[in-house]
Parts: sequence; C-alpha cells; structure tokens
Amino acid sequence: MDVSSFLVQSLNSVQYGFLLFLVASGLTLIFGILGVINLAHGSFFMIGAYLAHWLALKTGNLFVAIALALPLSFLLGLAVERLAIGFLYARDHLYQVLLTYGLILIFNELQRILWGNDVHGVPVPALLSASIPLTEAQSYPLYRFFISIACIGVAAAMYVVIHRTKLGMLIRAGAANREMVELLGFGVKRLYALVFALGAALTAFAGMLSAPVNSVYPGMGEHILIISFVVVVIGGLGSIQGAFVGAMLIGFVDTFGKVFLPEAASLSVYAFMAAVLLWRPQGLFGARPA
Amino acid sequence: MRPIPRSLLGILLVIVALLAVFPQFVERYYVQLATKIIVMAIFAMSLDLLVGYTRLVSLGHAAFFGLAGYALAVLQRDLGLVSLWTTLPLTLVVCALAALLVGALAIRTSGIYFIMVTLAIAQMLYYFANDTKALGGSDGMFLATKPTAELFGVAIFDLKNRTTFYYFALAALVASFLVARMVLASLFGRAIDAVRCNEPRARALGFTTWHYKLAMFTIAGTVAGLAGYVGAAQDGIVNPAFLSWHQSGQALVIVILGGMGTLYGPVAGAFVLIVLEDVAAGITEHWLLFIGVFVIAVVLLLPRGIASLPLGDFAGRLFGRGARKRAAAEPGDD
Amino acid sequence: MTEPLLETRGLSKQFGGLAAVNDVSVAFEAGRVHAVIGPNGAGKTTFLNLLSGEMRPTSGAVLFKGSAITGLTPDRIARLGIGRSFQRTNVFTELTCFENCWIAAQSRLPTSLRFFRPAGRRGDLAAAARDSLEQCGLIDRQDRIAAALSHGERRQLEIAMILATQPELLLFDEPLAGMGYRESQDVIALLRRIAQSHTLVLIEHDMDAVFSIADRVTVLVNGTVLETGPVAAIQSSPAVQAAYLGAEEQP
Repeated sequence: MDVSSFLVQSLNSVQYGFLLFLVASGLTLIFGILGVINLAHGSFFMIGAYLAHWLALKTGNLFVAIALALPLSFLLGLAVERLAIGFLYARDHLYQVLLTYGLILIFNELQRILWGNDVHGVPVPALLSASIPLTEAQSYPLYRFFISIACIGVAAAMYVVIHRTKLGMLIRAGAANREMVELLGFGVKRLYALVFALGAALTAFAGMLSAPVNSVYPGMGEHILIISFVVVVIGGLGSIQGAFVGAMLIGFVDTFGKVFLPEAASLSVYAFMAAVLLWRPQGLFGARPA
Repeated sequence: MRPIPRSLLGILLVIVALLAVFPQFVERYYVQLATKIIVMAIFAMSLDLLVGYTRLVSLGHAAFFGLAGYALAVLQRDLGLVSLWTTLPLTLVVCALAALLVGALAIRTSGIYFIMVTLAIAQMLYYFANDTKALGGSDGMFLATKPTAELFGVAIFDLKNRTTFYYFALAALVASFLVARMVLASLFGRAIDAVRCNEPRARALGFTTWHYKLAMFTIAGTVAGLAGYVGAAQDGIVNPAFLSWHQSGQALVIVILGGMGTLYGPVAGAFVLIVLEDVAAGITEHWLLFIGVFVIAVVLLLPRGIASLPLGDFAGRLFGRGARKRAAAEPGDD
Repeated sequence: MTEPLLETRGLSKQFGGLAAVNDVSVAFEAGRVHAVIGPNGAGKTTFLNLLSGEMRPTSGAVLFKGSAITGLTPDRIARLGIGRSFQRTNVFTELTCFENCWIAAQSRLPTSLRFFRPAGRRGDLAAAARDSLEQCGLIDRQDRIAAALSHGERRQLEIAMILATQPELLLFDEPLAGMGYRESQDVIALLRRIAQSHTLVLIEHDMDAVFSIADRVTVLVNGTVLETGPVAAIQSSPAVQAAYLGAEEQP
C-alpha cells in the first residue's frame, strides 16, 4: 500500500470512526445516565437517514432536510421516552432488551410501510460534490471531509455542554448520583427525557450525514447498532472517552480490515473485540466491577 | 429447582398425549406448523436454562441454532454423511465445543456486557455465513436429503414423512425437557441455584462460579443445537436467518412470554407466539408491527409470563381444546 | 511460639493514591479469637477483603498454615478452610434456611460438576445442613425463606452456612452491626460457642463485645497497625486510648 492510498484509507477510517462515535456516545450516555440498554438506538440512525432521504427529495436540499429532520428526531425521541422507555427505569436489563426489541420491530415495519423495501441513494449536495486531489491518482471526496468536520463540531459542542453548562453538570451528577439531581432542583424525569431525546437526535444526525455515502436501506439500523455495541464493549460502558477511542479503533480496524483481508472483512471488528475482552473484560475505559 | 406442581403435572401429561394424537386429526399444514412450534420450543427452552435458571441473558443464542443447521448441511455435502446416527451426535458435539469457546469469552463479562458480547459473537457468525461462498452466502445451503434412520440396513422410520418428522421433533422436545430436568435436579443444578441467587456469596462459600456458568452455557448451546438440527432438517435448507439476531430475540420473547425459569413456560410461549405470527401474517403483510406491539404489551403487562397466570383451567384451554379449535378455524399460508 | 494459622506480612492495598491498608503484619494464632478494631475508615473491611481474596493486595503476603495464599480467588481461599461473613448479611434470600446450608455443605465437595444423580438423594449434605442449623439455633426455621427472617436471624443463618462449610478459620466482618441488644447477645453467645472449636478473626465496632470475646486485639488506624496485644494491654494502652477510644467516645 502506497502512502497516498494509506492516507485515503486513514481519512475513511477517521470519518467512519466519527460517525460511530456519534451513535455510540448516544448509546453510552443513555446507559450511563438512564441505566437503560436501548436496542432501538440503531432505529434512530435509520430514521435519521430515511428522514434525510425523504426531506431532501421534497425540498431538494440536504442541508434544509437535515435542519428539518433534527428537531423531528428530537421530538420522536421525546415521544418514545414518554411512551415506552419511561416504564423501564429500575427494571431488569432483560425487560429493557425485550421492550426495545419490540420497538425495533415496530420501527422497521413502519419504515417498510412508509418507504418500502428498496434501497435509496441520497445525492451529495452540489456544494460538496467536488473531490480534493491528494496525488495524481488519488483524490478524496469533499463530502467525507464535511462529515468529519460536522462530527468534530458536534463532539466539541458535546464537550462544552457536558463540562461547561448547568445541563452538563446535571448529566455528570446524574451519572454519579440520582438523588443529587433531585437536590439540584431539576426533575430527574425531565433530565432523563432530555438525555434520551438528545441521544436519539445525535444518532439520527449520524444517519442523516451518512445517507449520501452509504445510501438508505431496510435493516441499516441493526447493523449500526451492533457495531456500536462492539464500540461500547471495547471502550467501556458509560464512558464518553471510551466511546470515542472505541469508535476510532473500530473505524480503523474495519476500514483496513477490508483492505488487507477482504474475505474476512466483516469478522475483523469482532475478532478485535474478542481480543480486547480477553485482555480487559471491562473495556478500555470501563471501571473494574467490584 | 422446584418440583412441578401436581396439578400442572397432570396437565403436562394431557398435553403430551394430545400432541401425540394431534397429527391424526388435522391437515398437513398444521402438522408442519406444530413441528415449527416444537423446534422453537426446544430452542427457547435451552435459552431458559441460561436466562431463567442462571440469569445469563444471552442475545446471541441463535449462534448455536444456526451453527447446527450449517453443521448438518456441511456433514451431508462434504462428508457424505446422511444417517441420523452420525450427523446428530456430530452436530451436537460441534455445538457443544462452540458454546464452550463462546462461553469462555462471554462469561468474562456480566450483565449488560454479556448481552452485547453474545449478540456481537452471534452476529460475527451471521456475517461469516452471509459472506462465505462455500456456505452459500446469503442464499444458504440446501440439504439434499432428510437424515436417514437405519438399523442393520433397515429403515426404522422415515423422516421424509411429515407426520413421522413431527413425532421425531416431539421426541426431541420431550428428551430435551427430561435432560434439562435431570441436570437441574442434580448437584450441578443446586450449584447453579447458588450462582443465580447470589454469585458473590456462592464464590465466598467455595464455588468456582464460572465453571458452573460455563457448563450451563455449554449445555444450553448444545440443546439449542438440537433445535437447530431439527429445524434445518425440517426446512431442508439452512441460511443466515438461522443465525440472525431476530432468531435470538424471538427466543427471548418466547421465554419471557411463557415464563422464565420453568422450562414448560417457553413451550407455551412458543405456541402462543408462533400461532400469533401465523394468524397475523394471514391478515396483513405488515404483521411484524403487531408482534412489536405484542412484545411491548407482554413486557409491560405480563412480565412473569404465562406461567404466572392462574394455570389449571387456563392452561388446559390454551394447550388442549384451543390448539385444535384455532388450528382448524384459521386458514394459513406458507 | 507456635506457627500462626494465618499471617500477613507487609500487606498493603492502594486505591489510587490512597493507602487503605499500609504495611500490615499480623499473626493470628490457632484457637484464638483475634479482633481487629479501629475508627471508621481505618481500613478494617479492606483488610478482611484482602484475607478472603475479595481484593488483591498491592503488595505484601498472606500466609495460611505457612504457605502463601496471596492473590488467590475467594473460592480457592474458602476451600482451604477459611469462611467469611459480610458486613451486610449475605445469604441466598430466595432459598429456605435449609437450602442455604445445604448448598454451603455442598460447596465442600471436590466439584459440583455432577449432572446425573438427583441431588435430593445426598443425605449426608442434608445432615450437615441440619447440624449447622441446630448449632445456630435455627432448626425450627429451616423451611422458612431467608428473605422472611429477621435481621438477627439472617446473621445467624449466614454463620450457620459458614459452619456448614466446615472451616478452620472464620472471618467476621462486624457481626453485630445494626443489631439490637437482644440479638447482639444471641450472636455473641453463638460466637463464643464457635470459638471453642475454631479460630476466629473478628472486625468489630462494639468495644464491649470485643473485649468480652476476644483474646487478642489489633488496632488499625489509617491503614497501619497501631498496636497488637492481649485485651488487657490494649484496654490500658495510652496510645490506643488517645488514637481511638478517646476519639470515638460514642461508637
């Protein structure tokens, strides 16, 4: 592999890693603060992608579509929290798995009713359709840069919110101590609903961004969900840094796995997870269970 | 392990008797549907050993179900083995070894990690089967023939006959149930009780708890392999769907729907869910929507499953008369 | 001096930068009741967890009958003949008292990976379970679910379970914590009876109880040993009085 294709693959890895980070950080936040394992998390990725596809068709502009789809996903997150997830706090993980599994069935079927079984492409916006030449033979699509930059923006915003705002303080307090949140005069219920909807919107945003690159298709939510599980297992549950490191590692392992071992490409991330488990069962950034 | 209540034992015997005569009274379609229910019942029962008796919530149990199907197909195609007497034990050994390996990795974790790790490992097998040309890729593999059952050159039964196959599946279910009961009543079963109730205490008493969890994981994987063997032999094909996480999810739904930690609960759960799916699929192509709502309703309204309902009369209705009445009344399609 | 049954040498446990247990060397002699006392946060429970294998020490060694058991897992240590109770009583709450002790007795079999014979036929285990329930005065409660027991009874059940494992050495983590006067007296009497045939290591807050049961006392302060000696010496030690008894007039 020459230097330029190595560079291209590295950029691809980082871009994929960033997308995974958006999904996995939502998953890990919802688990860390609400104590809920949410299998339907990937459904929001799918919903985001389909909303982007649909609204981009209607409005003719992906950016407008994203601007409209983001609040919609947030509201959908609020609704799902109120109607289903809210019943699961303090219940056994087993029931959380089952109920959110039921949600997946519902979302998948709704997707089929609304948009059918076909694979849809989403055009890259004209503004970003150019490629940046790296060498004479290699160039890199501008849109992929845009994905990475948008994700960096979101990650930076998340950092500021978590470390510099009152909401962030509540989130950090909530992860450590539920009563503390009550003492701070903010209803735990409101905090939970907010965190869940934010996590849903983050994931949906990742789905929207990836739609022009990966197209939209039935079952896309499950694929991303399972990969984010791998990310979270590697990084350590409940840790945002862990989600970031795990996502980047998986981005690289997956991308370079496809280059070097194309026949075992889909296995590489799982083999990597198994290796991490053998070494550190609690994940790279996870607290050792007492 | 608590003994089965006396009243329920009677019901169970009646049900087994009804199941034994059932094929004589219904159309072929319902014999096949019943066989499908039995396969899911064995599969869900094996998951109950983990979820209900050991509190290990696996979301990747389909790995062993599917592995068994592929093992049978590969044994037939590449080794030319067709006899039940060779393929079944070999398939079960393959599944036991795989479960031992997967379990050794997964049991290093617990709780939510265990859920995610089992799911991820099963998914790995799914993609492997899906992407491997030698295993037929996403189309899967056809089984050239049903397993043959000969003794001294004489066929003692013929699994190509649907009714015979039904009895074969029923025998597998009864055998699984009896083996599970035996294991749970043994010293090993008591150790599993201790691990489930309070693992730190069990360890402080001197139980090397991961030995027992791993042994149970292996037993459950092997029984799931039996279900997969029967399922693949029935369908005549094995494909990645056998390994899919919907297969694992469905089994988990069945275990909770029926009532975990009972063994007979998952049998009832398999009956209810498969019949419901069959009926819903006859009404609309978007039947999964109903199943999704149904699953959520079960979690919210019936968390301890059918086995927690006042049984007796209800169970009698559900299994016996209800089964035949509904089977006769509902038209279905395949 | 005879060889101690259990001994620690330079035992330390760090949590981050904090030394919860720091260079502790104590010898526990066979047949004695040896209490470990100290103010809150002195590292007593951490020390016990190091002995029983719940935690691994950062440095130092634990020796049982002269051979190192440092870093062994709790199940291995339990099988060597060291039983322990927990500060928050730890029993199988879903099971009956009889089943609790039955399982405890079963833990002494070389392995429980036995899948075929029904466990119900093991009369020897049933007898051992009943025997330990009898010793702890719980025989008339044997069919009661552990969750339905009173706090004191549950503590007695935990002790019965430990006895059913036939240990040589018993580690008790504040066996009197959270108990009323009557319940405490029952447990103290029980401990005295057990002490006649076993070696006991006892972590306890209740000073009167410690001085009435123990033969020897070790005082831990900030993770280090302040003093070890016979009860009378500890009671009259000015250093101990200053560091501990004075500081905690109302325990």
